[in-house]
Amino acid sequence: MCSCPHLKDFKKADGLKVFRKVHAHFVCCGSREARKRKASLCYCHECGTYSGRLHSCLFCVYFGCYTGNRHIHHHAQSTGHSLALDLTHGVVYCFVCRDHVYDLDLEKIGVEQAVRAWKTLGNGHIKYIPWEPSKAELQLLKENKKRIKLEKNSFIGLRGLTNLGNTCFMNCIVQALTHTPLLRDYFLSDQHVCAGDKEQCIVCEVASVFQEFYSGQKAPHTPFKLLHLVWTHARHLAGYEQQDAHEFFIAALDVLHQYCKDDAPNKDVLVPNNPNRCNCIIDRIFTGGLQSDVICQACKCVSTTIDPFWDISLDLGNIDHSNGRSSSGASAASTPDPTPPEENGQPVPEISSHHEESFVPKSLVECLRRFTRPERLGSEAKIKCSQCQTYQESTKQLTMKKLPIVVCFHFKRFEHSKKSKKISTYIPFPQQLDMAPFMASRLNGNGDHSQSSLCCDSNYTLFAVVNHSGTLEVGHYTSFIRQQQEWFKCDDAWITKATLDDVLQSEGYLLFYHKKVLEYE
Amino acid sequence: MVERIKDSQLSASINQKLVESGERERLKELLRSRLIECGWRDKLRSHCKEVIKQKGLENVTVDDLVAEITPTGRALVPDEVKRDMLLRIRTFLAANT
Ligand SMILES: [Zn+2]
Ligand SMILES: [Zn+2]
Ligand SMILES: [Zn+2]
Ligand SMILES: [Zn+2]
Ligand SMILES: [Zn+2]
Ligand SMILES: [Zn+2]
Repeated sequence: MCSCPHLKDFKKADGLKVFRKVHAHFVCCGSREARKRKASLCYCHECGTYSGRLHSCLFCVYFGCYTGNRHIHHHAQSTGHSLALDLTHGVVYCFVCRDHVYDLDLEKIGVEQAVRAWKTLGNGHIKYIPWEPSKAELQLLKENKKRIKLEKNSFIGLRGLTNLGNTCFMNCIVQALTHTPLLRDYFLSDQHVCAGDKEQCIVCEVASVFQEFYSGQKAPHTPFKLLHLVWTHARHLAGYEQQDAHEFFIAALDVLHQYCKDDAPNKDVLVPNNPNRCNCIIDRIFTGGLQSDVICQACKCVSTTIDPFWDISLDLGNIDHSNGRSSSGASAASTPDPTPPEENGQPVPEISSHHEESFVPKSLVECLRRFTRPERLGSEAKIKCSQCQTYQESTKQLTMKKLPIVVCFHFKRFEHSKKSKKISTYIPFPQQLDMAPFMASRLNGNGDHSQSSLCCDSNYTLFAVVNHSGTLEVGHYTSFIRQQQEWFKCDDAWITKATLDDVLQSEGYLLFYHKKVLEYE
Repeated sequence: MVERIKDSQLSASINQKLVESGERERLKELLRSRLIECGWRDKLRSHCKEVIKQKGLENVTVDDLVAEITPTGRALVPDEVKRDMLLRIRTFLAANT
């Protein structure tokens, strides 16, 4: 691989040892002391600058600037020391060949030490290492000359799904999932390591659905195997009747989580950062934390619980409720694994709904405001206070403790209370959504604004919308999905172009928002 | 002149803090993923290819290439990314002084 004779000579003279040392001390420091040393010692020995892409001579460990005064070049010229290590990027430069030198041994050492250094910084996720094809992969690339590229105006990734008899509830969710960027990256980069029977593994099947979607084929895909696996894994969804897309979405996440728990990166080392205590791809993308504060009205003490959620179910108000009973504003979100009730208190009793003025939300934001406002639980729903040791009236408030990367909002359009019916009220929802106002730190933290100082972390962009048309009995699901900057309508086998207005004017059943900026954890 | 010296002293001490705490590595990694996400890397890569095609592979050194693409590279960094990095550095400094 290496075509530079100067590096060859250097390696013969035990140069790898020198490289490893300089690299460990001044490029990727493995300890706090090393970082301290790097911080104070890394400057140009000639002009003293800390910047200017410092290089270290690999023969005498002289540090010199590469740009600007070019002291490392002068050093190489006057001493004949031809190789230097870039202290910023860890690559080796040869002054005779006038090129970077790529060498497998050097690279291996570099990657090892970079990973180790990254770990000592206490960073959660794994350091990004660019993909290098293995021998087998190189062979595959040679044998398969055709490359598929996602370009601005290509339609790759768009594919219709055959309706297998009322299976639009599944198709619309598959469309939303296949267009979730991080999920797509996970599946297309082959990160699922199958621990079980590939034939029965639903994650493997979803991986192959992703392959189908991005294969460039145009004919609709028939997801019969996926449907079959869904039926065997979520029995309550089996049969050819119309099912609820929301229920399917939650069931799908749950089954996927069950099957890919084991290929979470570094699962023994990493403490999961989400409330579902799992590092699988599903939890990393979809799990958020909902904080519930119950305040005793007698002693004002607060008992706080945090529960994981995969979606937020929002009430659409009580305009049509002729019987006068209103629905409760803050409804529990579906949680993947309900956490046991608080250790010191009694199990929290089911909160019954109570009387209040009629309410019709005029927008998604209003629904969220209502979802996160303090709610009086009333006298018929007393809760045992751990401090007073008696049952007391209390207020309850839900807020966002941890925002997921993808947040799914579910408008509760289907009423199953006394008379089953569908609420078709139009609730406007925005393309860009800021969740900061609904954060726990903002709503009940007095003064602790340190977390919310990076405002952009709570900004979301809409990327998929699932719609239900028709009635409760006879209905049909479709979805809008965004690819690059374009919107498309997916109606089973048919994919058509759509405008942002089409999307924002639609009724909306499930709304999928993606974080604009990804946090490092 | 005094201003100048102060400036360079300041940036040196900021640099030291960032290196010592490991924040510099974190920010670098973050910046890398941001730049990949927003398509910066792909754009710059195709720009490099063009330059090489124009001049011929044999006639370009890394330094030529770097000199050639640096202005484009700088200009292509989205304002949002710049603003975010600046904010992060500021937040870090505020918490560490
Ligand atoms: Zn050489
Ligand atoms: Zn210098
Ligand atoms: Zn030297
Ligand atoms: Zn599998
Ligand atoms: Zn999981
Ligand atoms: Zn009390």
